[in-house]
Amino acid sequence: MGLTNTPSDLLPGTLELLILKALSHGPKHGYGIVEHLRLASKDVLQVGESALYPALQRLLVNAWATAEWGTSENNRRARYYTLTATGRRQLAAERAEFDRMVGGIQGVLRTT
Amino acid sequence: MTSLIRRLWYRVTQARHDTDLSEEIETHRQLRQAQLERGGLSPADAALASRRALGNVTLAREEARDVWTLAWIEHAWQDLVLAVRGLRHSKTFTVVAVGTLALGIGANTALFSIFDSLLLRQLPVREPSRLVVFDEGSYTYPIWQAVEAQTASVFEGAFAYANLELDLAVSGQRQPVDAAYASGGLFDVLGVTAIRGRLLRPSDDRPDANAMVAVISHRFWQQRYAGADSAIGAALTLDRHPFTIVGVMPPGFSGPDVGRLDDVMIPFAAEPVLRGVDSGLTERSMWWLEIMGRLKPGVSLEQANAALVTLQPGIRTASMPADAESFLEDPLTLVSASTGRSPLRRRFETPLRAMQATVAAVLLIACASLANLMLARALSRRRELSVRLALGASRWRVTRLLAVETVVVVAAGAALGVLFARWSSAVLVQQLATWRGSVFLDLSLDWRVLGFTAGLAAVTAVIAGIVPALAVTGVAPGDAMKESSRTITGDRRLSVRGALVVVQIALSLVLIVGAGLFLRTFAALNATPLGFAAGGLTVANVNLPAVVSEPAARRDLLERLDAAIAAAPGVRAAGLSVIAPITGSGWNDQIGKADGPPTAERRAYVNAVTPRWFATMGIRRLIGRDFARTDRIGAPPVTIVNETFARRFLAGRPPIGQRVVAGGPRDRHEFEVVGVVSDAVYRSLREGVVPTMYLPLASEESPGSGITMTVSTSNAARSTVDRLLADTLHGVDPGLTFSVRDFDQFIRGGLTQERLVALLSAFFGGLALLLAAIGLYGVVAHAVDVRRTEIGLRLALGADRLGILALVFRRVAVMLAIGLAAGLGLSLWASRFVGALLFHLEPRDVTTFAAALTVLVAASALAAWIPARRASRIDPAQVLREG
Repeated sequence: MGLTNTPSDLLPGTLELLILKALSHGPKHGYGIVEHLRLASKDVLQVGESALYPALQRLLVNAWATAEWGTSENNRRARYYTLTATGRRQLAAERAEFDRMVGGIQGVLRTT
Repeated sequence: MTSLIRRLWYRVTQARHDTDLSEEIETHRQLRQAQLERGGLSPADAALASRRALGNVTLAREEARDVWTLAWIEHAWQDLVLAVRGLRHSKTFTVVAVGTLALGIGANTALFSIFDSLLLRQLPVREPSRLVVFDEGSYTYPIWQAVEAQTASVFEGAFAYANLELDLAVSGQRQPVDAAYASGGLFDVLGVTAIRGRLLRPSDDRPDANAMVAVISHRFWQQRYAGADSAIGAALTLDRHPFTIVGVMPPGFSGPDVGRLDDVMIPFAAEPVLRGVDSGLTERSMWWLEIMGRLKPGVSLEQANAALVTLQPGIRTASMPADAESFLEDPLTLVSASTGRSPLRRRFETPLRAMQATVAAVLLIACASLANLMLARALSRRRELSVRLALGASRWRVTRLLAVETVVVVAAGAALGVLFARWSSAVLVQQLATWRGSVFLDLSLDWRVLGFTAGLAAVTAVIAGIVPALAVTGVAPGDAMKESSRTITGDRRLSVRGALVVVQIALSLVLIVGAGLFLRTFAALNATPLGFAAGGLTVANVNLPAVVSEPAARRDLLERLDAAIAAAPGVRAAGLSVIAPITGSGWNDQIGKADGPPTAERRAYVNAVTPRWFATMGIRRLIGRDFARTDRIGAPPVTIVNETFARRFLAGRPPIGQRVVAGGPRDRHEFEVVGVVSDAVYRSLREGVVPTMYLPLASEESPGSGITMTVSTSNAARSTVDRLLADTLHGVDPGLTFSVRDFDQFIRGGLTQERLVALLSAFFGGLALLLAAIGLYGVVAHAVDVRRTEIGLRLALGADRLGILALVFRRVAVMLAIGLAAGLGLSLWASRFVGALLFHLEPRDVTTFAAALTVLVAASALAAWIPARRASRIDPAQVLREG
């Protein structure tokens, strides 16, 4: 597994966008989010695993998600993150912004 | 904003967040390890690989923490922690600084909250700015009727009210309650609505209406009915008459007068029922009520007053008494009533302003004191500060550290000050209450008071913080490395401190002069001979039952009352009088010359008394006789006068047998002088002895419904005098009601204002003196420390110890001289404003000024003596060794 600890090889804010998206299907714990990103991107996106946690704290600070301790599928105590209504709105906004950005980048790439 | 709150909350619960984060990262690792083990790795390899997969956990944890923090909050927090830690290390400094400020800010806040409540706060009614009051009250009921009928062009509405005290008791001792008669439109015009039931309306105040209705205050409702809805419709006995409660006034509304809370308001139409034949509703020369109005929108006060000039003749004609000569000749004047009307305001405005100025000066002194302390602290920390600078702290950061310290001290002082103010303003207002009635002032902390305190605190912080902050600018990073024990040069910062001490001395002198003037005023009033034996007298205000209304019946009842009380067990002497002395109430008449009519310039106070009243009061008979039972209506009219009367109006001739003409131009009476008694204070101590003539009570043509009974009892009977009076009065007529006071209370009550002003100014004067002395001591002590080497050298070179003392004192003398000169000028200027508060004393009283100067010089000399003596004892050998 190639590991980077900073999300700097992603566009800024993309990690949060991906986490928001991952949570939009329902509450998940940190490990679950990492696994989701890995599977959903077919191993293309491999997040430095501990780098996830500062990003999750940013979600908490902005009240896009709430965190609660619960029990995982194999009976471990795990901290589950749940998207809030603000979080859903943020997801939609960031997604639109991302599409715009990608569109822009593609535009640039095509013209050359 | 909410994210700021979340961040702050995070700060508070940070420990829990940290463990949460560690725990969830560990869970993550274990889940990863379990998955790797399922993939076939050995547990040891899986553990290693899972750790690698996580990457730099410490970094992640720090980043996670940083997410929550904002740099400026972090720095401010650090400054705060540093400042608090620094202050906790120097406890004495902190206690003195915070305590001084708490007193200064607290005293200012306390007085300002009274000032605000009494002078600034608008009435809690609809659009108070349009309310006006007829100035120079009071007015008669017919005038009010004329005003109501004829001023529709000026007022949207007008109302009248009259304050009184009603009795809640069904029998026996009175249970007084502050109340007011209100015209029907009062609440409509004010725009005040009931919170339960309804308030009075015009239909309650018509002659044919059921006027026996009452509205009660929110306080009364809570206290007497525990806020129950059943209070509406409940019966309420007022002066033995049944009323029905119809509504509750809103909380915060205490009536149109500021300084009093009307617990009960009843319509004027109920007045004839309560007062019977003494009713004032048709009386054209009974001045007993106040008139207020609400100006029409767009009508200015000037326009209204102009309109009133043209309306006045109509009002005058409609309400003129039959025998009037001069009636409503002065123009009726409206003044703004947006802050209500207040007799209390009139009485206390000058002393209140004087006290406000005093406490402002105290706060200034406290500021100077704090600045001085801060500066001393900054100087003693120069080494620490220069180390901080040398280690790379920015100059701004170091300055900020000192500033934050000041802010913490000031904030703590202000917070304590507000607590102190809450307590002390309530105590002060209690002191304003006299026997005459309770005083009610709404002292709740409104935005104005809190804003005032916050402003004070900010100004204090700036004044006290700027000097030490400036001092830091002189600190260089290298200072810590240098030894500077050999400096002989003067220190510029010392002159800053010297200037602060000069300010303190100047302001202290002003306060001490003030304290001296007020203390001497109080002492002079206290020492004023009263002219009677006040000790051991009990005074009862007795009200005759309303059913006894015929003058003859009243005279008969008074006579029986007099006889019964004189015969009661334990009573040494007793007498009745219309006026109780030193209560501020009075009755005066014009006195004619032997050969001419009475004139306004020749006025004497009058009292009607029973025989033995003089003996009871301890007023000595000088010549002639006392009144006798035979001095009654129908007998030749006689009078007893006091010495001052005899001296002023009887022109040195033998008084007995002379005839005195008294009364107005129309109702003139002639009396024969049958005795002269010693002088006694009549209305108030301040007014002192005035020409007084006494008439026999039994010769009163129409006695009023109230009478004052003065009883002198044996010591044994004093504790049971209430019971004794109740029994005696009940025996004479069960309808008699009364309230009892100790006579000493009258005297104390009459000096309330003077006592308060004297006490407060003495306290603050003493505080100012103490602060100035401490400041001076600090500066001199520091100067001695700085010049230790120099002094040691001088001593080594042969200077004698007296010379060293002189060296130190020369400096003190300069500061003192400048401070005293400035203070003297300031005191001379400020004394102009307190003239009205003094008694038998010039505002520029030389003795007081000299005494104040002496006190200040003595205190300063003492404060400087301690460090000066230390300087003269410096051991030159030791100083040289140190070097």
